[in-house]
Amino acid sequence: MSQVFFEDVAEGLEIPELKKNCSTQQLVLWAAGSGDFYQIHYDKDFAQGTGLPGLIVHGALKHAFLGQLVHDWMGPKGELRKFGCSYRGMDYPNEDIRCRGVVTKKYTENGKNFVELDIWTENPAGKKTSPGTATVALPSKN
Amino acid sequence: MAEVFEVTDEVKAQYGVEGPPWTYEATTTSIRMYARGIGSVDPIHYDVDFAKSQGFRSIVAPLGYIGTPTFHPDTNDGTFGFPRRAGGGARLNLPTKGLLDGGTETEYLDYICAGDMLVETSSLADVRVRGNMVFVTNEAVYKNQESGKVVAKQRLTSIHIG
Amino acid sequence: MTTTNPSVITDEMRAIVGVEGAPATLEVERTNCRMFARSVGHADPIFYDVDAAKAAGYRDIVASPGFLGTPIFNPNRPPAGPAEMSGRGYSIPYKRVLNGGTEYEYFPENDVICAGDTITVRGKIAGFEETTGSIGPMLITKRETTYTNQDGKVVAKMYGTTIQY
Repeated sequence: MSQVFFEDVAEGLEIPELKKNCSTQQLVLWAAGSGDFYQIHYDKDFAQGTGLPGLIVHGALKHAFLGQLVHDWMGPKGELRKFGCSYRGMDYPNEDIRCRGVVTKKYTENGKNFVELDIWTENPAGKKTSPGTATVALPSKN
Repeated sequence: MAEVFEVTDEVKAQYGVEGPPWTYEATTTSIRMYARGIGSVDPIHYDVDFAKSQGFRSIVAPLGYIGTPTFHPDTNDGTFGFPRRAGGGARLNLPTKGLLDGGTETEYLDYICAGDMLVETSSLADVRVRGNMVFVTNEAVYKNQESGKVVAKQRLTSIHIG
Repeated sequence: MTTTNPSVITDEMRAIVGVEGAPATLEVERTNCRMFARSVGHADPIFYDVDAAKAAGYRDIVASPGFLGTPIFNPNRPPAGPAEMSGRGYSIPYKRVLNGGTEYEYFPENDVICAGDTITVRGKIAGFEETTGSIGPMLITKRETTYTNQDGKVVAKMYGTTIQY
């Protein structure tokens, strides 16, 4: 994995997109990985019984996708300090989920180089379904 | 009708040939999850203090659980979690239309407890064709990594449908 | 004409703001670290391979972002679910619940969560807020959870928002 340095980053920089598309199998994998076995994520009849159009992708899985987006970008010497999102829209299995991020701020504090980003998941209609923010510390070339 | 698979001398030559070993782990969380999966409420599978009071090293793996194969996306099957490796019939060109579990027999020689690391080796034991179904039997041996002692032996049959 | 909705925040609720609940224990092990990373689709070997993690300077396999351990499950203990959902002994008149978001803060200068860790988790309600949105009057509950490892080091905090309406 390549390393991104503080000097490489400027406000407005868009980080490499991470594209996801959840099969129902991935939702079951996430159930096992997270321990969340709520049936709206794997039992279509149950999901529809609660008024949903069908199965939906777990919010926490989208949150973890955003974690992967930032992890893969910041490289082995990057430090993830903070990341989070809120859930503003549902995503469905077999639909693209684009995980994206843009640098909003960079600054140095107590000798550490911090970068803040807006991060989000985006559905095929272009709606930001899980907008959030992240803060990472990056190494310097010097 | 042509057979979906032919048990050639080449196939038979693989009987008993051990494939490369793989590591299986039994941990407190993995044992609890398996016990939950079968619906057991026996504290021997959940409560470390209780298991120790009964003379075990830690919580005990329920019957049928011989650890989880260590997973890496480059080496393990994304669906079944098993390592993709040579041996154990992996090189057979089996039909892929359907796959069913044909049964498992396990012989235990010791308890498996949380914290155990097991080394598994397996070999192809038998291949039979009935109609459009190929019954592939593998034999696996699990050894405790630390003591080298055999803790379990398994015969596993998978049914490949063509 | 605007109507002001009566507040649903009671003295009882105000009294529990900042009060820590009973601690719980989370286990971080190689198998659940790998399962979490696998279910997200991570490819970085530090989440799967002990040797790769050690070569990168970690004690063991690293817990991937969002993974803070697995609660110790015991079927013979009453589940904590419903009480947690409605609060701690208080009830509010709203029926519907939305997850308003989750934020994790990590403290790598203290330590990084790795396989083998035992995490003690303590949660509290950080505050209540009321607002009126397009879906009507809402109660926003902010929760703060602190994750401390076996060496007494705070490794993460989680800030959660629940919206009831």
